[in-house]
Amino acid sequence: MNSMMIPSKGIVKIDYQTPNMNNKKFKLMMHNIGYIPQSLGLIKNITVLENTLIGALPRLGKIQSLFKIFPEKEIVEAKKILKQVGLEGKEYRKAYMLSGGEKRRVAIARAFMQKPTLLLADEIVSELDSVTAREIMNLIADAQKTMNLTAIMVHHDMQLALEYANRVAVIKEGEKILEIGVEGDKIVDFQTGNLTPDEIMEMYSVDAKK
Amino acid sequence: MTPKNNLLIGVVIALIVAASYNIGANPIDFVEGLPNLAIIADEMTEVEPTLFVTAFWSMFETIQMAFIGTMVGVVISLPLSMFAARNLNSKYVYVPVRAILAAVRTFPSILWAILFVIMVGLGPFAGVLAIIMYTVGFVTKLQYEAIETIDSDPMDAVKSIGVSKWQLIRYVVLPESAPHLLSQMLYMFDYNVRQTSILGLVGAGGIGFYIINYIKFFEYGKAAVFMLVVLFVVLVIDWVSVKIRDKYIVKSQHGIEVTTS
Repeated sequence: MNSMMIPSKGIVKIDYQTPNMNNKKFKLMMHNIGYIPQSLGLIKNITVLENTLIGALPRLGKIQSLFKIFPEKEIVEAKKILKQVGLEGKEYRKAYMLSGGEKRRVAIARAFMQKPTLLLADEIVSELDSVTAREIMNLIADAQKTMNLTAIMVHHDMQLALEYANRVAVIKEGEKILEIGVEGDKIVDFQTGNLTPDEIMEMYSVDAKK
Repeated sequence: MTPKNNLLIGVVIALIVAASYNIGANPIDFVEGLPNLAIIADEMTEVEPTLFVTAFWSMFETIQMAFIGTMVGVVISLPLSMFAARNLNSKYVYVPVRAILAAVRTFPSILWAILFVIMVGLGPFAGVLAIIMYTVGFVTKLQYEAIETIDSDPMDAVKSIGVSKWQLIRYVVLPESAPHLLSQMLYMFDYNVRQTSILGLVGAGGIGFYIINYIKFFEYGKAAVFMLVVLFVVLVIDWVSVKIRDKYIVKSQHGIEVTTS
């Protein structure tokens, strides 16, 4: 969706723009699209703070970025975000020394540093235990409220997805087979492509009649 | 051993024999020549201790030449390797750059030295230039290979922010490939010291100049002094670079902290 991959079919539009890296207008938009790949893509030999500051690179001038001079304002901002994601006191650790949960927090901090309006995250909690996974999800949920952020995430865990999302789409082999709208604890909208409730129950042990 | 393997070994042995016959390499000559070696070895034992001072000074010159050559060579090869890396450039950039580099690597350093002696005259400066050329050829190759093996995940993640290419190089490519660079610098310095030792053969300065002259005048005892110094210094440099490697490179590549007591 942020032009990292070319869709095999169909079209993607973000704010009426087709994602394309060579499109100048879209490149500007990319500055505000946070993207957290499943592998996180942290740079392992530099510190947590430096990894976070990468999110601010689009706001940096040519010469400043050549000599790695970040304005004081950005460093303060980065530290604030790191505190927000619970990495206070670990700003100067090297990224490879962190645990799996902490690495995810750094990747989230980097995305927040972009001042994103859209956050794309690919299975960032699927390798974590459920407690840590919930912590990370809470973090994103909080940020959604404070930063006016739309998050699009991919999950394996149906339970977790239903708990946090407003809208869940179940996709199988490129086809949307189920779409669920959630408001609080209630399911308000339910569309099943061509599946029977029994099949859904079998797949995710979700009570389809709820 | 499968029959296929046996056949392959047979073919290789046959090729070696055929090639030796062609170039006139005869093992009997080697055996007959052994006594000559004993004569040289005997003469080499007559070392002149007074020469050690000169030897160490000329070795020091050699090391300085190697140092300048390595450092300047690495500095030149850094930007070049960025242009030669396939994952950073289009084909129209990296193909010509690689072609030039391949051409540079074709000449051994001693040929470069002859070329530069003609250009800037006899002396260490010609040797330094030769070392630079050689270092650029090799370090660039090693470095662009290191860049190409960089994990594509951080690259993609940072690219998705919409940063410029220079920022990508500065913040992802450089930090990710830096451990390789340090190890290559050590390796190259090590190698260049040994290389510079023989550049004197063509008058490009350094300790090799003395060695070749004493050998020309059959003063093997004096040449031996210089060779001993080369041996000693190369061993020391080898030992030091192993230490540095253990301390910095092993640590950063495997992500474990090595505590050296």
